[in-house]
Amino acid sequence: MSLQRQDHVVGDLTVAGHRRRGPGPPVVCVHGAGVSSRELLPLVEVLGERHDTWAIDLPGFGASGKPDRPLTLPALADVVAAWVEEAGLERPCLLGVSFGCQVVVDVAVRHPEAAAALVLAGPTVDPRGRSPWRLAGQWLRNAPGESPRMMPLNVADYRDAGLRMVLAAFGESIRDRVEDKLPLVTVPALVIRGARDRMVPQAWAEEVTRLLPYGRLAVMDGLPHMTPYRHPRRVAGTVAAFLSEVAV
Amino acid sequence: MKPGRVVASFDSATGMLRALSRFLHGRDVPLIGQGPAAAEPLAAALFGAANRLPRGLKERAYAASGWAEAVPLRQVGGIRSGALARWVTGHYPRRRSDVAFVGSANGALIHLCAALGAPWLPQTLLIPVRRHGAHPDEPREDLRRTREAGQALVTANPDLVLHQMHDANQDRLMIAGMSYFRVKWRRLPAAYRHHLEQTLAPGATLVVVDCELRWPVTQVGPRHLFQHGAPGGATREEYQDGGPRVADYLRRYGSPHRRWDYPAADGESPEAEWGFEPGLLPDLRELAARNGWRLARMSFAEPEHLSPVVADLYREWYRRRGLPADRLLAECFLLLEPWWTLRSGSVPYWMVFNTEPSRASLTGYLDGADPFEEIRLLLFSHGVESVGLATIDQWRETLARAGKVGVFTGVDTRAYPRDFAGLARAHRELARIRATVPMPLPMGWETAEKFLADRDELRWDTEEPTAADDRPGR
Repeated sequence: MSLQRQDHVVGDLTVAGHRRRGPGPPVVCVHGAGVSSRELLPLVEVLGERHDTWAIDLPGFGASGKPDRPLTLPALADVVAAWVEEAGLERPCLLGVSFGCQVVVDVAVRHPEAAAALVLAGPTVDPRGRSPWRLAGQWLRNAPGESPRMMPLNVADYRDAGLRMVLAAFGESIRDRVEDKLPLVTVPALVIRGARDRMVPQAWAEEVTRLLPYGRLAVMDGLPHMTPYRHPRRVAGTVAAFLSEVAV
Repeated sequence: MKPGRVVASFDSATGMLRALSRFLHGRDVPLIGQGPAAAEPLAAALFGAANRLPRGLKERAYAASGWAEAVPLRQVGGIRSGALARWVTGHYPRRRSDVAFVGSANGALIHLCAALGAPWLPQTLLIPVRRHGAHPDEPREDLRRTREAGQALVTANPDLVLHQMHDANQDRLMIAGMSYFRVKWRRLPAAYRHHLEQTLAPGATLVVVDCELRWPVTQVGPRHLFQHGAPGGATREEYQDGGPRVADYLRRYGSPHRRWDYPAADGESPEAEWGFEPGLLPDLRELAARNGWRLARMSFAEPEHLSPVVADLYREWYRRRGLPADRLLAECFLLLEPWWTLRSGSVPYWMVFNTEPSRASLTGYLDGADPFEEIRLLLFSHGVESVGLATIDQWRETLARAGKVGVFTGVDTRAYPRDFAGLARAHRELARIRATVPMPLPMGWETAEKFLADRDELRWDTEEPTAADDRPGR
C-alpha cells in the first residue's frame, strides 16, 4: 500500500495531507520551520505499515493553502487541532519534528482533547540558543550530518513557502517559550534526539523530557537533527514501541 | 624518580585519590584529574578523532600509553615507599575532620568520603614497570623477567608487600610492555601518620576500609606475591583452567595459546588491587590508641558490596534535604565525579569495571530500589573485548530501566571498549546537566556511622579508645 494524498479544508484554508493507512491508531506528523511534509514521507511510509500515519503541511507551507499573512504559532496549533477534528481522527498521537514539536506541544496544552500522545523528534528551541545567530550557527554545524538527499527537498520547500513564510516560521520558533508549556502536557510524550544533533543539545533534550510530566527520552546513535529522514525505520520502530507501551 | 611518575596515573587508587582530593579542594574532575579544565574541549576533540582510527592503531596507542608511564626495570630498586606516601598525603588539604579512612580503594568509598568531607589514604598503589619480551598470555614469563626487580623493590622497602599481578584478560594491551607491581603497605608510613594526626582530633574516628576479597597467589619470595588473573569478567576457574570463553578470547586475539600458563598458586592472599592486607592493623591500632581515636573497621566481602550502601545513604540524604533523589549516576572503575554527583543531585552507584558481573550488580540494585527517573552511565574503556565484557546493547537494557532519561554519558558507543574520548567526555557531558542543586554541607559522621553500622552488606567493628588514651591534652 502506498501513500494517499488527502486534503481537508480547515476554516478557509486547504491543508494538504499524506496518509498511509496502517492498522494501528493514528499518528499525525508535523514538519519543521519553513519546510513541509516532504521530509516526513519516508517515515509515513514505514510507520504506516503499523499505524494510520499522516503527514500534513502547515498552512503556508508545502501543498497547503497560503494565508494572507504568516500564521503565529498558536494559530498554527489551532489549525492542527481543527484539522484533527475535520479528518475525523480520534485523539491521534501528534509527532512533531523540530519546530513541529513546538506546534504539537502548543496543541496538546491548548487543546487537551486533540492528542492522546506526543512524539517530539528534535525539539527546538533550546532557550540557551535562542537567538537567530546561534540558531543559524547550529543549523550550519548540523548540516554535514544530514542526508545530502534532503537538500533538494528543503530547497523545494523554501521555494513553495516563500521567504516571508520561512522567516516568519523561524521567528515564531525563536519567540515561543516551549519550556513553560512542557510541564502542562498531560499526555505521554516521547522525546527523540539524534546523538549528533547540533541543534538540540543533549542537555536540552534531557531538560525537555524532565519538564514533561510523562516524558521519556530516546537517543539515537549517530543520527543528526532530522532523525525521521535519516533513519525512518529506526524512528518508526521506536515510535511504535512507545505507542504500544502507552496503549494509544 | 618523582613519586608522581612512579605511580600509575590510569589506576583505580590514583584515580580515586585524585577525584577525592580535588573534591576536598572544592573542585570537580575534568580529564580524570589529569589536566586543566581549559584543555578539555581540545582533548575531547582529539580523542574523539582518535576513536575513529583503525583498531590496530588504537590498540597500539593503548599499549604505548601504558609503556610510556611505566618505570624502567632497573630503576625499580630505587623507589622508596616514604616518598610515595608523602606524594599521596600531599594531595589533600590540611583540614580537621571527625573521621578519616585508610585502606582499600573503592569508588563508593570515595563518595562516602566526599559526603563526609573526609580523606582516604590508600593502602595499595600501582607501580607499572617496563618489561619486554613476554607475550601477554605467558604470565610465567612475565614473572621470570621481572622477578629480580620485584625482589629489589621489597628489599629496599621493608614496609611494602609486592603483589605482582598479571591479567591477560582485561589488561591485555597494557601488559604488552609492562608489568603490574601493586604494592601494599603493611606498616603505616610516616607521612600517613602525620597526616592523620593533623586531620583527626581526640575522639575522632579512624576507619579501616577492609575489603576482604582474596585471590590465589604464588609466593615468589618474602613479601613478594604473584597473582594470575583479577576480578572482572572472567571467573577464577577460567583463569586457572581456561574454558570455552577463554579459548575463544585467545583465538580472537590471535594468541598461540588456548589457556594461560602461569606459576602454580600455592596460597591465597588479599586481592592485589582491592583487598586489604591486615598486616597494617597493629600500626593503625597503636596510632588510634595513642591519639585517643576510635578505630572502626568497615569490612565487606567484595568491592561492589559498598556500592548499594553508599547509594542508599546518598538517597536518604537527598530526601532529608527535600530533594527528589530520583537520579542515578552509575560510575565505572576510575571514572568518578564526586563533585558533579552532588551538584546534579545524583545517587552514585560505583561499579568495579565494565563487565557482566558489574552490570549484574547494578541491575540487582535497580531491582531492589525505588525507580529512578534518570540514569546516567559512565563507562570506562580498557581497549579489549575481554571475557565477560558487557556489550553496549546490554548496557542499553540497563539504561532502559530509567523512568524518563536513561543515557550514556561521555560514551562513544561505536568505539567502546576502545573509546579514548570517554576520559575527556565523561566529565564534559556530565557537567552540562541543567538541573543542578546546591552543594550540601558535609554529612554528619554520627548519622553516617549509624547508617553504615546497620547495613547487612558490611561488618562494622569499633574499638573505643581506652580511658588512659582519652586524657585531654595527651
